Amino acid sequence: MSLRIVVAVKYVPDATGDRHFADDLTTDRDAVDGLLSELDEYAVEQALQIAEAADDAEITVLTVGPADAKDALRKALSMGADKAVHVEDDALHGTDVMGTSLVLAKAIEHAGFDLVVTGMASTDGTAGVVPALLAERLGIPQVTLLSEVAVSGGKVTGRRDGDAASEQVEASLPALVSVTDQSGEARYPSFKGIMAAKKKPVEALDLSDLGIDAADVGLAGAWTAVQEAAARPARSAGTIVKDEGEGGKQLAAFLAEHKFI
Amino acid sequence: MTTTGSTFDSALLETEERRALRKAVGALGRRYGRDYFTAAVREGRQTDELWQEAASLGYLGVNLPEEYGGGGGGLAELSIVLEELGAAGCPLLLLVVSPAICGTVLARFGTDAQRQRWLPGLADGSLRIAFGITEPDAGSNSHRITTTARRDPATGGWLLTGRKVFVSGVDIADATLIVGRTEDARTGKLKPCLFLVERDTPGFDFRQIDMELSAPEKQFQLFLDDVALPADALVGDEDAGLLQLFAGLNPERVMTAAFSVGMGRYAVGRAVDYARTRQVWSAPIGGHQAIAHPLAQAHIELELARLMTQKAAYLYDAGDDMGAGEAANMAKYAAAEACAKAVDQAVHTLGGNGLTAEYGLASLLTASRVGRIAPVSREMILNFVSHHSLGLPKSY
Ligand SMILES: Cc1cc2nc3c(=O)[nH]c(=O)nc-3n(C[C@H](O)[C@H](O)[C@H](O)COP(=O)(O)OP(=O)(O)OC[C@H]3O[C@@H](n4cnc5c(N)ncnc54)[C@H](O)[C@@H]3O)c2cc1C
Ligand SMILES: Cc1cc2nc3c(=O)[nH]c(=O)nc-3n(C[C@H](O)[C@H](O)[C@H](O)COP(=O)(O)OP(=O)(O)OC[C@H]3O[C@@H](n4cnc5c(N)ncnc54)[C@H](O)[C@@H]3O)c2cc1C
Repeated sequence: MSLRIVVAVKYVPDATGDRHFADDLTTDRDAVDGLLSELDEYAVEQALQIAEAADDAEITVLTVGPADAKDALRKALSMGADKAVHVEDDALHGTDVMGTSLVLAKAIEHAGFDLVVTGMASTDGTAGVVPALLAERLGIPQVTLLSEVAVSGGKVTGRRDGDAASEQVEASLPALVSVTDQSGEARYPSFKGIMAAKKKPVEALDLSDLGIDAADVGLAGAWTAVQEAAARPARSAGTIVKDEGEGGKQLAAFLAEHKFI
Repeated sequence: MTTTGSTFDSALLETEERRALRKAVGALGRRYGRDYFTAAVREGRQTDELWQEAASLGYLGVNLPEEYGGGGGGLAELSIVLEELGAAGCPLLLLVVSPAICGTVLARFGTDAQRQRWLPGLADGSLRIAFGITEPDAGSNSHRITTTARRDPATGGWLLTGRKVFVSGVDIADATLIVGRTEDARTGKLKPCLFLVERDTPGFDFRQIDMELSAPEKQFQLFLDDVALPADALVGDEDAGLLQLFAGLNPERVMTAAFSVGMGRYAVGRAVDYARTRQVWSAPIGGHQAIAHPLAQAHIELELARLMTQKAAYLYDAGDDMGAGEAANMAKYAAAEACAKAVDQAVHTLGGNGLTAEYGLASLLTASRVGRIAPVSREMILNFVSHHSLGLPKSY
């Protein structure tokens, strides 16, 4: 039977652009170009590798986001995913992690799955909790922050690298994994992949398709609220230590002065 | 490096696929980057890793037919690949000759056997073909080409004799496509013919020319004295040489334009980065109009050249060889001029650093001149436009 993999991919404002908050303190998505979150490219890559190692697998990429979020799906499809699901609804504006995980969970159930793959965190919200919330909502085991992952014999196994130790972890399917930026460079879309992406199916869903009450999502439905947001002050110029024989000592003195050593 | 904005960022000008290709190739190019390119030059290596990776992603064979492993796209796609690699600081010069000229000529005019033999390799990057037309005594005047092939009655093959000069990449190419002439059996007149000469053919002698260019690909002088070639070294039909040549030359010009635009964009990008932060009075030097305006001008001229390049690729892909010819020449001219000016201004923007090895811009001063000279010089394009476009008396 085919292994059904769903990868949750987020469309985020380009981190190299000049990012701002809108008046309602949500991310101003019009001001900067968006793209597939770099950290979610790792999730797509691992899903592709798992699929390539399996006899038969199908990868669905899923995003919850505005109309332009299709770009993120298209990128993932051009990398090699088979089909896509796009949840788009005006009522989603301002949704927090609780709401996002609710919508993702419903959409994943709708798509059907054996394995859910996510990134370690988004590059804009960076909460890093959506994977855990999602596993909880789906009622499946979670093995998170993996730098190595494989599927065989109805189980997903992987390695989680901590500061002090590396853990070998496993779970039986269906399960959710999140992968880190150490899991292996994501591939570039090939020219054939780019040409094929346009012909792959993208299913568009709104909240009513998923049976979700609009009151549970959006700014109003959020469990937390952003009270205030301020731009980080510009970084002051760094100190350049020129090595004229005493460079090492000066470096050490600088680090000691700032209590790094 | 910050990427400067461009009017080409609009979603309306190029198809979604071409924009995706631009992004993907640019990302690949930036991962290798200028340092990779200059290190390869310094160590006398080729940029093979980049070539292989770009090839395996299908970028190098985008224009070749799908049935031979290519991408089934056109010159529009191939010029995007070269331009974006160049804008990232690591252009692959052989794209101008191998898939663009030789791939096109073989796909359109090669025999079935020749296509089978060469196209899959050109598409996956495992084979490369150089292109030799320039001769020491012919130069800009290709009517004076004297490299001549005659039938070898003993074998039914050919004996090729002549000299070529400035041929790029002969050492790393599996074969060189050589433009020669042969006697028309009926009229006795000489007509152009194209021959595939494999690198290890006995008697095929090539010597590197010492160029003051920082590029991994080298130029060569070729010496052929009755080099024996098999009958199937002749590309396609004996009478189609002129058509073949024209089919290959438009892609060559469009690709040279893409090469120049890419280099120009790279140079402007470096200069803008520098001008934003370098401060010697109270504000960054980019705030002085004497620095900002010439960069703005360079940017505008590159954008214009880019547009003409796209137009030429569009006409070529649409099958309008005549219209493409005029546009391709204009694009090549405009891109070469814009690139030379952009590099000149970029070097100047960096002051003394513009001439340091660390910043690596000075070597572009020579590199940016190539587009003015090859494959057809600025003056020859002006001659062509004067005569062909404006209807003025022919001067050459
Ligand atoms: C300006 C601003 C205001 C915010 N206000 C609030 C607030 O008031 N309260 C609050 O709780 N949160 C708030 N958030 C967080 C925001 O709603 C989150 O971006 C969102 O809920 C997902 O969380 P995350 O991006 O941190 O995901 P993470 O948990 O960091 O993401 C982990 C992984 O989950 C998956 N994923 C996450 N989001 C999606 C998605 N949309 N589609 C598909 N996959 C996804 C991806 O695989 C990703 O790698 C705010 C964020 C911003 C930028
Ligand atoms: C880096 C590099 C790579 C190259 N790679 C290749 C390659 O792969 N294959 C290949 O075959 N060739 C290659 N060439 C050769 C290139 O195409 C020629 O250098 C070019 O066609 C000019 O010919 P020439 O050098 O003989 O100049 P000439 O023809 O001698 O011209 C010298 C000058 O006189 C001018 N001139 C000549 N005739 C006229 C006229 N009628 N009116 C006005 N001005 C005139 C020219 O514009 C030029 O400025 C390469 C050259 C370079 C520099």
